Amino acid sequence: MARSLLTSALCGAALIACAAGAALAHGPTRQKVTESVEINAPPDKVWAVIGNFQDMSWHPAIQKTTGEGGNTPDVAKRQLDLGNGATIDEELYKYSAEDHSYSYRIDKVDVKVLPVNNYSSTLEVKAEDDGKKSLVEWHGAFYRGYPNNDPPPELSDEAAKTAVTGVYKAGLEALKKKLEATN
Amino acid sequence: MRRIPWRVAPLLLRLAPALALLTGAATRAQADEAFITEQSGGGVSVVDLVARKTIARIEVGGKPAGIAMSKDGATAFVTSTEGKFVTLIDAASRRISGRIDMPDTPLGVAADPAGRFLYVSGFYQPRIYKIDLEARAIVATAEVGASPSGVAVSPDGGLIVVADRDDDAVSILDASSFQSIAKVKTGAHPFGVTIDAKGARAYTANVESNDISVIDLKARALIGTVPVGKRPYVVALAGGRGFSSDQYGGTVSAFDLETLQPIGRVSVGEYPEGLQASADGSVLYVVDWFSNDVQAIDPKTLKVTAKIEVGDGPRSFGLFLRETR
Repeated sequence: MARSLLTSALCGAALIACAAGAALAHGPTRQKVTESVEINAPPDKVWAVIGNFQDMSWHPAIQKTTGEGGNTPDVAKRQLDLGNGATIDEELYKYSAEDHSYSYRIDKVDVKVLPVNNYSSTLEVKAEDDGKKSLVEWHGAFYRGYPNNDPPPELSDEAAKTAVTGVYKAGLEALKKKLEATN
Repeated sequence: MRRIPWRVAPLLLRLAPALALLTGAATRAQADEAFITEQSGGGVSVVDLVARKTIARIEVGGKPAGIAMSKDGATAFVTSTEGKFVTLIDAASRRISGRIDMPDTPLGVAADPAGRFLYVSGFYQPRIYKIDLEARAIVATAEVGASPSGVAVSPDGGLIVVADRDDDAVSILDASSFQSIAKVKTGAHPFGVTIDAKGARAYTANVESNDISVIDLKARALIGTVPVGKRPYVVALAGGRGFSSDQYGGTVSAFDLETLQPIGRVSVGEYPEGLQASADGSVLYVVDWFSNDVQAIDPKTLKVTAKIEVGDGPRSFGLFLRETR
């Protein structure tokens, strides 16, 4: 259980569209998930922790991030290592330090790691309470892991949403804890 | 609330207000309602584009996604991807007037201008279906390329163009024989397909190559490619310009139809998909799937002029505007 949760969390954090999605048809119903957390720290401080695409160490499911291209959209790539051989390959397609926001997609992930196809995601920090606090929002759009009709339960729409939600929640909770502890 | 018609030339620009005054309602060619398919929510919302609010909701079910409007605005046709059916909606009364079961997951849909036939793509088989609207039954089936998505009919009703997404091509069919008469290569993964008012060109939005393919329908050949924002889904046309809804970009891109050069982009909601210009070309409407809204854009200035909240997961993949007068 621990492993599957971890790998799920890891995958979700990494994000985006599977390479497999390019070769296969996907079911026509795309799913969406949004999770957010309020953090008692200014946006700049939160962005300093999560604003580097090459560093996902703030997410508890990610053991290692390796990559290249910095934070340059369409150039930057990263591989998230979730342990036990589970990885997620991701690519950055939008980045704005000014808006405290970046968007990426999954290029490659095994549906056993994260049961999604064609995954894209945005991580964003918004100011609250006159900039004294932050609202971190993480959202993703994706298709289920099974690209055709009649999916098995582990590759259903619900399974995909549950897995992504788990990844986002685990990451945002850890981020809040980390930032509020150092406040 | 009257909007000034699209100003094509300085002369027209000066004449337009006078014409509007003289002819009154006749120049009010603007679409007054938008029918929004809400795939996650399961319904179709009717948005009053003057009042800028949702005024009716029709429960359709089965994850509605694609839409077409009859030329007279009397009937909306909606594909439900999971329910595998097409729903006919009496647009004025907001009542469901029929339902046609499909043998495959329907996605793209287009209505014959004469009002006799409906064309629906079946995503997995992959086929296109010709439905006789009087008999309310499939009367012909044609094989097309992999994962057929968007469908468009030429203004004279003679040609049907289907975006064969996973084949990186469009199939062109003769409507009466319902045979494929040509296949034209496009950019990577064409999704939406749009035919211009003259029936001269078809445009596809190519999701994976981030560009628009321009196809000459007479020559049946690719005549141009225009770079746009990331993950374009649908093309719309207005006032000598083309527009695309860019899902990853969160933008609508504009390009010149003559030079095929990019003009600019405007930020809209998240994951924009459905995109159509009002009949007079004065307003563009874009449907934002993630952020659950419809935004109005001035196609000339590329500024957002209105934002209207709608239900969950709106797509309106196809033609979704209806004129009420």
